[in-house]
This record gives sequence, C-alpha cells and structure tokens, in this order.
Amino acid sequence: MDEVFEIQKEMYKGQQYSQIYYIRLHLIRTLIYSLLPNWKPHLPVCTVLGLEEGKECIIVGTLYKHMKLKPTILSEYSKERSAAPLVSPDNFVHADDVLVLEDESGRVNLKGNVLSPSVYVTGNVVALHGKETGGGDFFVEDVLEAGLPPQLDLPNKLGEDKYVVLVSGLNVGSSSSNPLQLQLLVDHITGHLGDKKEQRTAAQIVQVVVAGDSVHIQHGLLNGQNLASKDQSKLSEPIKELDIFLTQIAAGIPIDIMPGYNDPANFALPQQPLNKCLFPGSSAYNTFRSCTNPHLFDVDTVRFLGTSGQNIDDLKKYSEANDTLEFMERTLRWRHLAPTAPNTLGCYPFTDRDPFFVESCPHVYFVGNQDKYATRILKGSEGQVVRLISIPKFSETGTAVMVNLRNLECNTLSFGIQISS
Amino acid sequence: MNNKGNNGRKRPAQQQPAPPQPSKHVATTEIEDEYMDEDVFIEQNLVDEDELILRDMEDREALANRLEKWKRPPLSKAYHSHSQNIVFQQLEIDYVIGESHKGLIPNSSGSAAIIRIFGVTKEGNSVCCNVHGFEPYFYISCPPGMGPDDISRFHQILEGRMREANKSNKFSVPKFILRVELVQRKSIMYYQQHSSQPFLKIVVALPTMVASCRGILDKGIQIDGLGMKSFMTYESNVLFVLRFMIDCNIVGGNWIEVPAHKYKKSAKSLSYSQFEFDCLYSELISHVPEGEFSKMAPFRILSFDIECAGRKGLFPDAKYDPVIQIANLVTLQGEEQPFVRNVMTLKSCSPIVGVDVMSFDSEREVLLAWRDFIREIDPDIIIGYNICKFDLPYLIERAETLKIAEFPILGRIRNSRTRVKDTTFSSRQYGTRESKEVTLEGRVQFDLLQAMQRDYKLSSYSLNSVSAHFLNEQKEDVHHSIISDLQNGNPETRRRLAVYCLKDAYLPQRLLDKLMYIYNYVEMARVTGVPMSFLLSRGQSIKVLSQLLRKAKQKDLVLPNVKQAGSEQGTYEGATVLEARAGFYEKPIATLDFASLYPSIMMAYNLCYCTLVTPEDVRKFNLPQECVNKTPSGEIFVKSDLQKGILPEILEELLAARRRAKADLKEAKDPLVKAVLDGRQLALKISANSVYGFTGATIGQLPCLEISSSVTSYGRQMIEHTKRLVEDKFTTLGGYEHNAEVIYGDTDSVMVQFGVPTVDEAMKLGREAADYISGTFIKPIKLEFEKVYFPYLLISKKRYAGLYWTNPDKFDKMDTKGIETVRRDNCLLVKNLVTECLHKILIDRDIPGAVQYVKNTISDLLMNRMDLSLLVITKGLTKTGEDYEVKAAHVELAERMRKRDAATAPNVGDRVPYVIIKAAKGAKAYEKSEDPIYVLENNIPIDPQYYLENQISKPLLRIFEPILKNASRELLHGSHTRAISISTPSTGGIMKFAKKQLSCVGCKALISNKDQTLCSHCKGREAELYCKTVDNVSELEKLFGRLWTQCQECQGSLHQDVLCTSRDCPIFYRRKKAQKDMAEAKVQLERWNF
Repeated sequence: MDEVFEIQKEMYKGQQYSQIYYIRLHLIRTLIYSLLPNWKPHLPVCTVLGLEEGKECIIVGTLYKHMKLKPTILSEYSKERSAAPLVSPDNFVHADDVLVLEDESGRVNLKGNVLSPSVYVTGNVVALHGKETGGGDFFVEDVLEAGLPPQLDLPNKLGEDKYVVLVSGLNVGSSSSNPLQLQLLVDHITGHLGDKKEQRTAAQIVQVVVAGDSVHIQHGLLNGQNLASKDQSKLSEPIKELDIFLTQIAAGIPIDIMPGYNDPANFALPQQPLNKCLFPGSSAYNTFRSCTNPHLFDVDTVRFLGTSGQNIDDLKKYSEANDTLEFMERTLRWRHLAPTAPNTLGCYPFTDRDPFFVESCPHVYFVGNQDKYATRILKGSEGQVVRLISIPKFSETGTAVMVNLRNLECNTLSFGIQISS
Repeated sequence: MNNKGNNGRKRPAQQQPAPPQPSKHVATTEIEDEYMDEDVFIEQNLVDEDELILRDMEDREALANRLEKWKRPPLSKAYHSHSQNIVFQQLEIDYVIGESHKGLIPNSSGSAAIIRIFGVTKEGNSVCCNVHGFEPYFYISCPPGMGPDDISRFHQILEGRMREANKSNKFSVPKFILRVELVQRKSIMYYQQHSSQPFLKIVVALPTMVASCRGILDKGIQIDGLGMKSFMTYESNVLFVLRFMIDCNIVGGNWIEVPAHKYKKSAKSLSYSQFEFDCLYSELISHVPEGEFSKMAPFRILSFDIECAGRKGLFPDAKYDPVIQIANLVTLQGEEQPFVRNVMTLKSCSPIVGVDVMSFDSEREVLLAWRDFIREIDPDIIIGYNICKFDLPYLIERAETLKIAEFPILGRIRNSRTRVKDTTFSSRQYGTRESKEVTLEGRVQFDLLQAMQRDYKLSSYSLNSVSAHFLNEQKEDVHHSIISDLQNGNPETRRRLAVYCLKDAYLPQRLLDKLMYIYNYVEMARVTGVPMSFLLSRGQSIKVLSQLLRKAKQKDLVLPNVKQAGSEQGTYEGATVLEARAGFYEKPIATLDFASLYPSIMMAYNLCYCTLVTPEDVRKFNLPQECVNKTPSGEIFVKSDLQKGILPEILEELLAARRRAKADLKEAKDPLVKAVLDGRQLALKISANSVYGFTGATIGQLPCLEISSSVTSYGRQMIEHTKRLVEDKFTTLGGYEHNAEVIYGDTDSVMVQFGVPTVDEAMKLGREAADYISGTFIKPIKLEFEKVYFPYLLISKKRYAGLYWTNPDKFDKMDTKGIETVRRDNCLLVKNLVTECLHKILIDRDIPGAVQYVKNTISDLLMNRMDLSLLVITKGLTKTGEDYEVKAAHVELAERMRKRDAATAPNVGDRVPYVIIKAAKGAKAYEKSEDPIYVLENNIPIDPQYYLENQISKPLLRIFEPILKNASRELLHGSHTRAISISTPSTGGIMKFAKKQLSCVGCKALISNKDQTLCSHCKGREAELYCKTVDNVSELEKLFGRLWTQCQECQGSLHQDVLCTSRDCPIFYRRKKAQKDMAEAKVQLERWNF
C-alpha cells in the first residue's frame, strides 16, 4: 500500500514547491467546505481577497508562520561574524511569531488570541471565522481543522492474540548500540528466549516493523574520494551486521524495514525503500520487505500508518506541545502527516498529489526514533479509535513495542543488559 | 505681456514641444548662454487649463471619489479672513518673474521677481507664499574719487549698456538698474588695516540681469573722466533664492511665520497648494530651528515605482514601451505606516489586501489617473529609487509619445509643465554623474539611489543589494523580460506584478526611515542654510558658501567673484602619513587621534581669507612678529587679536553647536527629538569638515590655497611632533617599563606601541600621552585617546586590521581598513576568505588554523568543489561594445549573450555577472568570461588558476606576509595545490564527436550491459558505492529544499512559483545549480534500481 509514497518514476524537471501547497490547499479545503454547514452555516465564505472590513466571514487557506528565530540559508551568506550566542537549535519558537493565512488570492495577517502561533505551523490548512479589521488584519474568532479522517471498522474484535512488533533506532554500528541487546531482541522474536509463556507470546508475533535509523554510517567517509579498503569496511560492516539480524528474523516472520534520517537513503520525504543491494542476505526471503517512510500497511484488517520520526521531530522544532503524542494527534486532526514539508522538512516537489494527506484513519499510528515510549488511544467524534505509539530508540532504551491486533493493546519488550563477568 | 504666462521657469534649449495655441504666448527670446546661470522664465511650458478637461467626466468623477478621502485636512477659516498668523515649515523656495504686486508695492511697475515659498503648516495644510519686493543686487568696489554725481552718471551709462544688451528681452521693465547706492563694506580677501571702503551696491530689476550686468562690468565700461574701466564684482554669483534666504535669515527647512493681516490671499490662485497668499519680504519672521520650531511638519511623502513592458532584449524605451503599472505609497512624516497604498494598472488586476487597486483600459488613463492622484494627494516630497533618472523622465516622455499634453502637470503650479533636462553633476568629492533633472515646482524630489551613491560606499547600488545591506532582506527581482509576460497573462499574473511593484515602492520609504534621511537632510539644510533640494543636486561648496555669506553679511564683508581660474593654480602637498612598520603586533597598540584636526588647526592659527597677509602687505604693514603666525608652508596670517577670522568663527559656532546638540541628545527622551538632534550633530560635523575642502577646491567658489596648504602643513607638523614627543617621553630612561614606538601615523591619528602586554595598561598610557601632548598644542587642537588595537595587523599605509577595544574587558569589533572586504570587482570568495582569515587570526588567534583554512579553500577551488556563486564577478555595463576602447570581459560577454539569446542578454545599465572559464591556450583574458548560468547548464570548467592568481593571491599575501616567513610558497604552492579536477563540458569543442557510454559507478570502467551499475570487479563494493550515491542525493535534496523554500519565503507566497532572477542574490546560482544537480543525481540513483 506504499505506492502513494513511491517516487521512482518522478523526476526533477524544474518544478517548484508551489504545486504541492496548491494541491494540499485544494484537497483539505474541499474537505473543510463539506464541514462548514455543520459548523457555522450562517456565515459566508470568502477568499482572502474578498474580505471586507468589519464583515464576519469564514476564510480557508494555508497558514504561514513568520518566525523570528527560524534559521535561513541566506544568513549563511550575509553573516556578520559575531560573538553573540546562537539560539538553541532544538526549538525556534518565539513569543513574537505571527501567523498569516494565504490562499491563491493573497495573504492576510492574523490577529486575536484564538489561534496560537505556538501550536500551528507553516503548511496547515484551516478554516477561520472572524473579520477584517481596519488595519487590514483578520481578527480570528474561531478555528476549524479538517478533523480525524473516517475509519474502516475493525471487524475481528474477538479472536486470538496476534502481535506486531515495532522497533526503531537500532543504530547498528554506533557507539550506543550493543550487539548483544539486539541479539536478545532477535532471539526473543524468533522464540529462542524465555520461558514457555514468553515463547507462546513470541509465537503470536505476526509482523515486525523496523521504523528507521537502523544503521549508523559515518558521513565523513562519504565525501567524494575513493575509500581505502580499511574505510570501506568501516562503512559496510554495520550494514552487513544489520543484514545478519534481519535475516534471522526474516527466516521466520515477515519483516518490514523503513528508512530513517540516518539510513543510507535519500533525505527528502517520502524516503524511498532502502536498496536491496544493501541486504543480500535478508532480501532473499519473501518475508522481507523494504518499505518507504512513511509506511502504510494492513496486518489482517488492522491499518498501520507510521513514520521514522522526521515529521514529528520537525514539528517539535517549530511548534510546541505537551508530549510527542499530542504532536501526533495534531497531524491526524490536520489530516496531514507532515505539514512542515516542504517549508522546513525536506520533501519531493510533487506536482499532482500530496501523499502526506491522510485519507483514511489508521488504527495504529506510530512514529519512530523518539526519546521515550508513550502510547494512548485517540477517539474521534465519529467513533474512530486510533492507537498512537511513540517508539523509542532501541539503541538507547533497549525497548521495542508490541501491539496486540486483537484489542490494540500495547506493551513493551525491554532488554536490559548488565554484563558482569 | 500676456498675463497667463506668469509662472514657470526658463530652461535653455531642449524644450518640450509647445502646447497648442501658441499664438496666445509671447515668443521666447534667445539669451546668451553665459547669462543663464540662474533660473528664469518661460511660457512654453504652460498649458491652458480649459483644455485639460478633455477626459470623460464620469471617469474622472469616479476616480475623484476614490481619491477624495486622502485629501489634506481642511483649511482653517481664519486664514481666509487674514486674522490668523500663518506658521509653516518651508521645504522648497524658488522664484518666478511676474507683474509686481500693485497692492503691496504701490509705486512699482513692470516685471519683478516673486519668491515662492512652499511649505506645510503644523496642521498639515499646504501653503504657497508669494514674497514680493525683494530685489536682486550685487556690489562693485567704488573707484576712488567717485562722488555722488559720478555715481548717477555711472548709473545712466550702465543703464544704457544694459538696455543695449537686453534689447531682445521680452520683459517689460521700466528700468534695468533700479538703484546704485554708495555703501561702506570691506572685501573678505586679505588682511586689511582700514576698517571699510566705499562700495557700490547695484540693484537690478530682475535676477538674470545680475549676470548680464556683471558681464558688462567685467569687460569694462567707458566713464567720463575715468576712462575705460573694468570692475571686480562682489557677490554677483549668489543665486537669487540663496540671496533672499541669507538676507531674511531663512535657513533650509525652517519655520516661517507671517503675522495676521500682513498677508493677502492671492486673487488668482496659481498653485495647487491649499492656501496661496502674497506678502512683503520684510514681513516674514524666520524662526531659528530650536524648541518648538525644531520639529517637523507632517509632510506628505510619496514613494512610487513604475513598471513598463519592455520588448525582449531591449531596455525599456519610452517611445515604444508602455507604462503598465504605477505603485504609490504615501506616508506622513513621523508616522510609521503609509496611509495610502495603491497601484494603478493597465488592464484588470486581482485585488490585493490592504491596497487600493485601480485598473484602467488604456495607458492614457493610467497616466492621467496618476496625475490626478498627485494633485489630490499633494505630496511635499517625492521619493523612489532612481526616479530622477528613470521613472519620472520615462513617464513624461511616454506621455509625450502618446500625445497626452495634459499629463505632465505634476508640480504645484497650475498649468506648468513638468520638464526633463539632462544635467551633469560634477563634484570633486562625488565625481561626475550624468543625470536628468525633472522640474516639479514646489515638491522636493529625493532619489534614494542618488543619496546612496553620495553617502555610502557599497559594492553594488541595486535596490536589491542596498536593501539587503541596510534592511537585511533580499528583494525579489523579476527580470524585465518576464514583466511583459506577466502583463500579457491574466488578472492574477498582473496582480503578481503589482505586488512586486508595490514592494519596490515600499523599499525606498523603508530605507528613508531606516537611515533617517529626512531628519539628516533637513538638519543639514538648517545648519548650512541652503534649501533641501540643493543638498542632493549640488556639491559641498554651496553649503560652505552659504555659511560664509551669512557670516560675512553680519560683518559687512563682501565676497569677491573670483574668475574661475581652473586648476592652473596647482596643487599643494597633502596630508602626511608616517611610514608604516608592517607587521603583526601581538601587543596592544594605542591610537591617539586628533579630534577634528583640520577645523582645530584653522581655529588655533586663525586661518581665514581675511587674516591672510599678502607678501607685499607683509612689507607694507610691517606687522610685529608677535601679531602674526607664519605657517610651515610659509604663509603669514594675523592673529585673532588683530583680526578675528570668519572661517574660525564659523567653525567655532559649528563645533559649539555640535557639542550642544550632543549634550541635548543625551538628555532627550522622545525618539523623534533624538532623531532630529542626532541628524543635527552629524550635519554639523560634516559641515565643519567641509570648510577646509572649500578653500582647497581650485574650481570652487572662492579657493584660497594659502589656507588649505597651511592647514595640511600644520597637520604634518603635528603628527611629527606627536611622534617625537611620544618616543622621547615614554622610554625606559624616563621611568617607563618599555620604550614606546610609533608604528604608524595617518592623517589625524598616531598608533603607538607602548610595549605593555595588556589593553588596560595601554589605555592608561594612551590617556597619559594624549593629555601630555595636548598640553603642548594651541587650543583647541586636542589629541584624544580613543581606542586600542589588539592584536593589530599592519600591512602597509592605509591598510590594516585589528580588534578594536574601547574598554579593557571586551573588544568592540573587528576593524579593517583598505582590505578587500567590499571591493566590487572581486568575487565573493575573496571577501569570504579574507574575512574568515582575519577572524581566525585576530579573534581566534589561530594562525595555523587560518593557514589550513586557506589551503582547504584553494584545494576546493582546484578540485572544482567551489560553490559557483562565490566565483561570480560583476561589472556594470555602461555603454555598448563599440564604445569601449579596450576590450573588457563583461562587455564581450554581453555581446556573446546577445547572440545566443537577445531576450535575456544584459543591456546597458545592467550589471553583468560572469565567471572566468578555462579556454584554449593563449586565449585573451576578455574571451574567458562566461555567463554563470550557461556555465552551470553546460558543465563548463572554470579556470581555477585565474582565481588563484588574479583574485585571491594578492589579498592573501598581503595579510600573511607580515605573519608567515614564506607566505607565497606555503600558501600558494604547497602540496594542497597538486590535485586538480576539471569538469567535462557537455557542449562545444570535441564533445560533439564524443559518444556516451555507461561506465561503472565505482571505477569508471566501461560496461557493456545496460542493466548493470558496476563492473564485475567492483561488485563487492556494492554497499559502499551505493551509500555514496545515495548520500550525494540526500545532501542535494537537503540543499534543494532549503534553497527553494527560502526563495518562497522571500517572495512572500507559498502558492505561486518563484520567478526571481536576482543575480545579486547569493543563493540564485546555488538554487539553479541545486535544481540541475538534483536531476542528475536522481538519474545516477536510478541506475541502482535494476
């Protein structure tokens, strides 16, 4: 089901990013228009240009957040070297940030307290209720988001336990990764570990998903020059090691591997599947699938949607929320997996579609490579039930996540290692 | 004479074609060119107002209603009944010839000069004040033995000669010479022992007659009993308006009050000002700009920009290319946001938030709407970028082409046509500039481009780079070949253009605010006493002359009108510079500065025109030694107890005023008051410094090289004196820890190494030395200690860099002089390299790091890894190829580009960016230039050797020679220069015959099978090689995204394609390159998906 994220046949032919914004606006606006009769049917709908001073109306458009601290590539050129400390690179939110709404016709500055600049980011499409002030600004009184997408029903509420294992951030080859820990995981999944009860659970694992950052590659080795044989092995060793682990799993259980930020894959979203030439061992099994990031798939009738974390990491830089799950919930409500793409998150300049538009609600929505494990159930107004999962980095926490397909319950697999000899 | 023609001014030659009905007007007279040094008067420029109402009344009304709300506030009724004092700030003063006002001057007749003062009241009402009764005059020295009878005979003879010379003059004046009066005055030139002498003040009827009368007197006239005699004239070259301002104590931009009942509302209003009135010049009260009167009236400032649809490949020409949009912003002085924003477009245009879009079907309507807009808004100041040379002349010429005779009435005078005239502005300080002069009576034009060129040294003066420099933002730049496409599109594309046009109109206003131009220029006008319009259109000397005349008038001195001697008087020795001891100083260097050195010298030694004693007079007067100063250049000046000089007095006042302004500035709280005061202190400083230059300007108004050479000779002496004292006093013998050493001395500063290791100690010694040495000078010459450089890299005379400390805890900045950081004919690489090296050397104190950085950069250059935008060199194309005598790289390139594609080739006036490419052996330098875009698209190899040798080596060696022993060998010839990589061009030459074949990604061996990526040999390295390819793609994707979203940000829209082609923008080439590299890298990556 990843076709939507595949860009094999698409080429860079001088296209720009305006199209993807245009398509996104068009998709989500049509959707929002259908919601308006239930929201505020009495209000007229305007374009930015059609605004008249003092007239209450609804406008729908793409938000643009003007950020004081946002780093720009231009400043690299015009930099005056100074001793002034740089801003923290983790978060660029500032109290002076302002939101602007744009549609094909123009832009208008947004005022009022309803719409918080720290919540929204550039690229969101929303409907706003309000009116134009004397100064040419739009005073916002209410906001409407596209809301959770419709969901397919889960038919097999009863039935037996089946588990899907989600793991991310294996970082094979990095200093934080421990081969023993990883071997324990593999042994557990393949049922070679633990007592009867554990082995029984292991036997119920039907799918393993590796959500990004599986190997750690020294980027310093990749700048142009031909490598000495010593460095060649430094580069290929972790990949071989990973292939061995994957092969062990693929021999018994279907496994999906997604590319992540640090993997030998392209940078821009959607990231394309890791090339099979990297995995000569595991790719021989038909249980092995190299997938895109984001990744959309069904196990039985349960729909999974997930990313290797870049979309949420970028939101964390350019907006604020209480925790990872809240960011995740927002992307579903906005109907868009990666609103900050292409503005601050690299993405392919699509001309005819926006693959990040969430058409139907997944049952399980996960992001990889987060700092810690967290999960909760999100319930929508039309009966949608979504299991949100923040998967921690395995190399740092030794934790993988198990989702029970029967009831969407979640628990963790943790492998502590203390070697005392 | 015809009554209708009493306004407007005369310009020689190049008149616009006469409007219809010439029979109503009196023919013009030919006047000899030499008399044309002042403005006079013409009727040709007038149009009959009745003819103007040609336009469809309904259209006009609709437009008028739209403009209505922007009218100025209503006028107080009390003005009409003459019962209220009129107080206004004047901005522009000119004069016209008209019938003298019978009501105010009952016994006058014929034509007279009427001064017009345009201004704005506190309430924002525009007024036009016609001042009557002020008469032009000048002086001649009275020949000895001339009695009252002789004077009246002289008067008659002169009258007769004038009548003869002005036979063809159309003005009906009963008398040419109104009066000849005997007055007591003194010439400003040379010290004189007597207190005053008889002079004749000759009052003439009209301002132009001053020049013609001067001509007659210069040549000499026959006087009975005295024979043929020629006369030296005095103050006969003072512009009439300036004469008036001086005599009435009016300074540029000050407030003027006309008491109630002393003025009369003009019977027939000739101007578009809200209130026009007549009064006598003696009734004007001129307020000194202090307290309440230092404020600014709420002027209306219009900032505008036009777009025209050019033809492909040609610069817009008013004969063919229509004006398609005019964007306007009007701001009230002192307010932050414009209160009017509109754009007038040809053909429909989608609306823009917050902007009044007015669309018209014909160009004629656009132009006329703009005229109506100007009239209704009634701006006091019109600003823009390059409006004087482009926008305004273009509009006027376009209207002429379209035969819209009623268009160019943009000034404040009813029916007076706006005219364009070519001028050359030439000044020693600013060089020669060709320009166009557009007359807009009553409105001040302020072209930001001219102001920028005057006040700042920048590498480029395009609006884009100026706003990047001052406002820190890049401006979207739409190439003029796209403009026509946008215009011919739909209302949306025209809206796009309008947004762009509005931004261009807004930037000048933002620059004006940011640089406080209004405050600074008004203050400069107030300090120097000239009208604001002089500041931009004339050089420095008029400002000093104005002050000199004002001061001289108080003392009954008169200035001779020296015949322009040209430069034959020779030059004199300039300022001295002490030999620089080049080196890298790692001990603090204290800098001792003379505060306002040249003004102080003039004050200390009483140097002035009127204190200079000629060599003959030295013997004649036999002055005692103690009363005179002999300057090091050998001139004699008397001391101030015998005769106080005027220049020293002017300088004292200026500097005292500056001290006051600075003190007030500290006290001031209100930001607007602060702005005024800061502008004032700056103006005062500049004025004080320009006095010296005035005396040295050999083609100036009143050159006196004796003064200027004395000033520099004193300056030299003081620098030497300081050096001697420092090196004598601060020695180990004198009880100090180290021997002080003067390492360098500039015009007005001396750099001393006291030998102490810390900044703090150097500061203490610096202060001590400054106080000690100041004590040996005559007041007010003062040596000040200001700053310490530590470390300090002294390269040679006028070239150095160092960290600048004013307090011992933290350095203020890195200061560089004469080092390639901003030269415009260097590529960006040089600037970056030099800046980075200095940063590493001075701030990080990491010399090996700097060396390594240079080596890496050179290696990158040779290995073809350099970002192309860093290598782009830009030069302005000022004329076409044939006009250049020597072949130049950028000119040749422009020619070649024209052959390739005329539409995008640079035109005269554009800046041509180019890179130097590898060419056949023996190719001339000018043949090696190429368009960066073309280079990118065709993979043309650049010539790294050229950049190494001609661009970076000299500046680098300069920096490193004082630091490294074998700088050249170490930096330019090390092992890092051995590896070279050159890209293969994809067009031209031998590549035409080449056949493309697949090769192994790993080892470049040819492979036959199309489906393979690697040869069998490299198969084992698959993972590694794949990682490399994909890593390359991922780096490019990162860059692609960042560059293109940056451009979206600049253009301020997400949903529209980026059109900008600003070659001044540093990321333009990178963006293009990223786009192309991306496509290629993607194809490479595809090969792995077998």
